[in-house]
Order: sequence, then structure tokens, then C-alpha cells
Amino acid sequence: MKATTAHPSRSSGFRALADNINEKRAQCSKLTRIFAESAESTDLASRYGYDRWLVGRFLEYVPNVKDFMDEMERPPTKYIRVNTLKTTSEDLESRLCSKGFDLKRTVIPEVLAVKKAPMTTGATNEYLLGHYYIQDLSSCMAVDALDVSEAQAVLDVAAAPGGKTTFMAQRMKNTGSIIALEPSEKRARSMSFNLARCGVYNTCILKIDGLHAERLQRKFDRVLLDAPCSCEGVIAKDLTRKTSHTPQDVDYCSNRQDKLIDAAARMVKPGGILVYSTCSFAPEENEMVVDTLLKKFDNIEVEPLQYGSTGLTQFGDAVFDGQLKNTCRLYPHLHDTTGFFIARLRVS
Amino acid sequence: MISRALDTWGAFEFFKDRTLMVRENGKKTVCLVPSGFEAMAPMHPYIMGLAIGDLKKQFVPSMAGADLFARSGNRNEFYITVNENAEKLILYGRDVMGESILEASDMLGENELVIILNSRLEAIGIGRTRFAGRSLLQKGRITVTTLMDAGYYLREEG
Repeated sequence: MKATTAHPSRSSGFRALADNINEKRAQCSKLTRIFAESAESTDLASRYGYDRWLVGRFLEYVPNVKDFMDEMERPPTKYIRVNTLKTTSEDLESRLCSKGFDLKRTVIPEVLAVKKAPMTTGATNEYLLGHYYIQDLSSCMAVDALDVSEAQAVLDVAAAPGGKTTFMAQRMKNTGSIIALEPSEKRARSMSFNLARCGVYNTCILKIDGLHAERLQRKFDRVLLDAPCSCEGVIAKDLTRKTSHTPQDVDYCSNRQDKLIDAAARMVKPGGILVYSTCSFAPEENEMVVDTLLKKFDNIEVEPLQYGSTGLTQFGDAVFDGQLKNTCRLYPHLHDTTGFFIARLRVS
Repeated sequence: MISRALDTWGAFEFFKDRTLMVRENGKKTVCLVPSGFEAMAPMHPYIMGLAIGDLKKQFVPSMAGADLFARSGNRNEFYITVNENAEKLILYGRDVMGESILEASDMLGENELVIILNSRLEAIGIGRTRFAGRSLLQKGRITVTTLMDAGYYLREEG
């Protein structure tokens, strides 16, 4: 077994595996870290049905891994976001409660947790009329972090299916403008239905890949990049994800996210905000992406957020800029949300 | 034609200071857009603003347009109100029975476009009358054909 160097790491015996693939991983700081198997990782992987490489990584950074994996076996809490373009929280609560729903307020004023539902949450008349959107609390926190307001110019770099876009539109009271980028015809179509159902008219969908955002030839007050990712954070919603992705998938996503965040950062006006988010736990898709950006741009600061756990400042052999502690990690067992990562970046 | 249509639906005041654009893509769709969005047109956006209706021989509102018109508050004779039972059926694409209509203007003619409201005065569909005036309320018959309903979003998307 070959030892890698020595940055202090959480596991006292971090070692890269000795075969060729992992030697290459150690040489390239951006490749997905694989950790030596332990009795604990093997046991947990076997018990909960995960690939062992994934559990080995969880043991490096997830607090209370056993509680975490127990929680991932349970159906996640459902949340709905009141569409204030069409109704109020009070009115919607009253209507749904009269139908037998039990709803609870959350830290985001527009978001309600569905504690009891007598029917499928998307089967109500109120849903069809666009009075609410089914959206996880973590996703809404990303929009809350962006702090949009009326009359602003906003860019949503990877917009479909439109949950965050419609939330931004309602926070903007349908004023200003949102440019939503979505290169896939199918996803853009699905998004158009969501925008129409929610009564959003300040948004324009362009079928452009976020990597080519510079074609817009303008800058924005706010830019949101909810990046395509390996979706580890939604394992509780789709248990096949325990074994359906590989370290190579994380590599691919991370590489693409580097490019996307670079493109997104260039679209922000001085003084504006970029929010980067994923529904992955992988540091290579989260802190490392932001860290790489900070190394490229000296006019970007990571601003602190008011929710979740702090971001990692190191992972395996990688040590990140100290500002990464201002990012936010959301875990199902600690925050009752899907897994999520949010970074709020101020461009000066 | 657009101004006349907005007036017909009682929505002229709401739209008078807003920007509307017509998108031609096999049909003419009227879109409510924020000011300044005209500059995006050369980029051939997939969607620009909110499609409020199509220009055919007459202006036919979309569901999103119907919702905005109903909210503008100036509901005139081209709106009918139905009961809760009918609301559930309409949202599955069913037509309107006369006995489920709570309110309809005597001035409505046959073959008129109407916006269908629920008891909370929210737009749930767009229909066409099969009868005129009080005949719309006759029992045991379908009196309004549902052309489009708010359940359409999910059926089309799926």
C-alpha cells in the first residue's frame, strides 16, 4: 500500500490504494478520492446496500454516518412552496388543512412541510391551479441565499424543471427579468409548463448550454448555478442511486461543474451574487469546485449562510481555502432535507 | 384584435401599461413579457414571458391568460361559475352540465367562448357555450364544452 502525503486527515490511516488507477487519482488533485476499505465501511455498505467506495467516503466527512444511513432509508419529508404570485400561505394552509393535510411552517416563510397528506400532494386542485410547487426545503434555501429582489436581472444557468426559477420569480413579484438557460428541448418544454402553471411572466427560456452563457453579452445582478451533479443527495428518494454511480461519474460531473461555475462567475455584475448549489455530498462536486474558482478569481468572496452545517475545509489530501467554511452542507439526518450544498459568492 | 379581446375579457386596464409580443411559430401566440425583453427576440427564445392566448379567427385565451384575466377583477358576461363537483370533473377534462353552473350571464349567446371559474372565482377552464342565456342552466344536459382546463398542464407534461 502506498501512502500519500501528509495533510492531516480525519482518518488516521489515509492511504491511496496501490493499483494504477488510484495512483493516477492521487496525482490529479481533482479526481474522486477513494479510501481504503475498513471493517466499518464494509459492514455499513453490506447492511444498507451501498457500493463500498461510497461508504468509505461518507465515513470521512459525514457526521454520525450510521444515523445518516438510517435516515436515508426513510421516505424524506415532503415540502411544498406556496406560490405567492397566486395565493398566500394563510389561504393555502386553510384550504389544504380543510382537505385533511397537516402542514408545518419552516425556516423559509413560503415553504411548508407536509406532515400528513390524505392524497398525493400533486393531486389537489390547488396544485393544478399553481398555488404551490412541490419542492424540497434545501432547494428553496439556495434561492433564499441568492437574495433576489424586484426589478433585478437574474440568470439561471441550469434552470429546468423550473422550481428555483419560479421561486425567484415570485420573490421578484414577477418584475425585473430572469433568463433561464436549458439546452434540452424536453426539459425546456417541461419547464415551460411549470412557468405557465405558476403564472410567471418575467422569465425567458433560452436553449443554450450554460457553458456558452457569454453569448448573452450582458451581466446580471444575480446568477444561480444549480449544477447538474451525481445526485447523491437524493438517494433517499431513489434508492437505486446507492449503486448506480461510479467514481468516474463524480469525476465527470466535477469537471463539468468547474467549467460551468467559471462561465457563471463571468456573468455577474460587480457587487452581484452567484449562488452555486448541488444535490450531491461529494466534496469534489462542492467545496473543490468553489475552491478552484477562488484560485482563479481574486475578486470573489464566499459569504456565510445562516443554515445547515459548515462546508468542509479539507478532504483527504486536499486542503481548501478557509472561506469554504462559509458554505453550507445539508444532511437528511441533521436538517430533514435532501442532501444539498450551497455556496454564496459575492463578486466585487 | 388583441385590444378588443382584452376588453372583451375585462382585462384591458391590467394590460394597458404592459408589454405584449406576438410570437409566430405556425400559430400566433400573444405573450406577456417584461419590458426590455424585446431585445431577447433575436436569440430565438424557446419561451418568452407568459403565453396568454392565440390569435386565430378570434383571440382564444390560454389557461395562463384566463387566470390573469380572472384575477384582473373585471369579470363580465364572458365568465361562468361552477360548483365544486363540476370543478373536479372539469379539471379532468370533462364538460359542464347545466345544473352545475352557479352563475352565467343571460346575455351569453350560443357558441361563445367563456372562462370557467370555480366558486372562489379562480379560472379552471375555458369553454364554449352550446346554448344561449338561461338555457345554459338546464338540467341533465351538457351546456358548455370544455376546451381546455387547468389539469391540462399535467396531462401534456406527462
